[in-house]
Amino acid sequence: MALSGFEGFEKRLELHFFGDDPKNVGLGLRLLDFETLDEQILQAVQCTVVSAVANHYFDAYVLSESSLFVYPTKIIIKTCGTTQLLKSVAPLLHHASSLGLTLTSCRYTRGNFIFPAAQPFPHDSFQNEVVYLEDSLPDSLCYRKASVMPSKTPSHSWHVFSASTEATSYPLNGDVMYTIEICMTELDRDLARSFFQRPGSGKNGDTAGKEMTEITGIGEIIPGALICDFAFDPCGYSMNGIDGDRHSTIHVTPEDGFSYASYECVGSVYDCDDVVRVLKRVFKVFRPATMSVSTTCASHEVWTLVAGALEPLGMKCRSCAVDEFPAAGNVVYQTFTTHRNK
Amino acid sequence: MAAEEGQVVSVHTVDAWNEQLQKGNDTKKLMVVDFTASWCGPCRFIAPFLSELAKKLPNVIFVKIDVDELKSVAQDWAVEAMPTFMFLKEGKIVDKVVGARKEELQQTVAKHVATASA
Repeated sequence: MALSGFEGFEKRLELHFFGDDPKNVGLGLRLLDFETLDEQILQAVQCTVVSAVANHYFDAYVLSESSLFVYPTKIIIKTCGTTQLLKSVAPLLHHASSLGLTLTSCRYTRGNFIFPAAQPFPHDSFQNEVVYLEDSLPDSLCYRKASVMPSKTPSHSWHVFSASTEATSYPLNGDVMYTIEICMTELDRDLARSFFQRPGSGKNGDTAGKEMTEITGIGEIIPGALICDFAFDPCGYSMNGIDGDRHSTIHVTPEDGFSYASYECVGSVYDCDDVVRVLKRVFKVFRPATMSVSTTCASHEVWTLVAGALEPLGMKCRSCAVDEFPAAGNVVYQTFTTHRNK
Repeated sequence: MAAEEGQVVSVHTVDAWNEQLQKGNDTKKLMVVDFTASWCGPCRFIAPFLSELAKKLPNVIFVKIDVDELKSVAQDWAVEAMPTFMFLKEGKIVDKVVGARKEELQQTVAKHVATASA
């Protein structure tokens, strides 16, 4: 374990609920009191809140190791390092049911860990993660699928587990939403340096984070979004963006040798032109040597735009894998490397 | 009045709010207004920290406004995200912190307390 560094690759869990109690359904999961969230859910995962913000649609927390988003009937937790994310499932389901909410779908995704041997159970293997998840979920989520989507880059592959009470996903309100999850490795060294705090700058995690958001161009990726950012000591950066009912999030581990950055956002296929702009801006912030882009969407509009956005910037598409999952729809996993790399 | 010192004062009516504003104007004290909401988890996260700050700084007026209760005030001050902390001196906004950000909140309060006593 001597050669182990900080694990940047996150584990991501997204749970959707249904509530038929009209008293609770407006706020749903947002009624979970903070103490419950903090002491029973985040502690199970070994995370604490470092900063947070909310609007009328959802609560967004920056955690000591990543992010938490709480919507009325949806919760997303994304954690990195050696956190035990899946331990949050049981307490979450328990507290959700006390609010009259029942689980309708669950999606767990992650990339390839850089330091797999450092991961504790059940994250020591995808197989164990799947068994652990299967055991944590109610039988009503009877449509289940687990798959590792490959790429031609051995260090990148996409692990997906999805479970649902329905076989297929039906878009709510006729709007088809997508989720993009980007994992970047071998960041440009000069750009990565911006995510180190300058010793003696007199800045704290909040103000140093704000400065990083500005100087790196992260603030301009989604111009209308309000950003809640935090810089870790001595290095590392996290931010959550809130823009109406849409979240975005970035996490950066800038250390040379295992540098990593992730970007995630959601959007509607009706304005999927945004995807191209967002991808280009994200790329320019980090200029990674390797980049994987996973899109999750019931339809096909979004993934076809990805290569067109990145190739003019000098990235080459190396692989593209497509698979279909219960509730999630199509997951398309594409990897890109710079031309100079094979 | 003295009973309010060292506490975060919740105002529930526009009249009570105007009264606090007036008090801020008259005393020329720094006023920190926390725009909060009952459904906002991040607001509950920062609340104990704000109470501690208020206890330590009896010379700063801390006011809490529920954005659903006093919609018109929240709209007038263009509050979109919660919590939002407005820093007022004699009725004018001198600073703003958006989000539950302990260190930034503490630092911003310190900055304005320092200039007020200078």
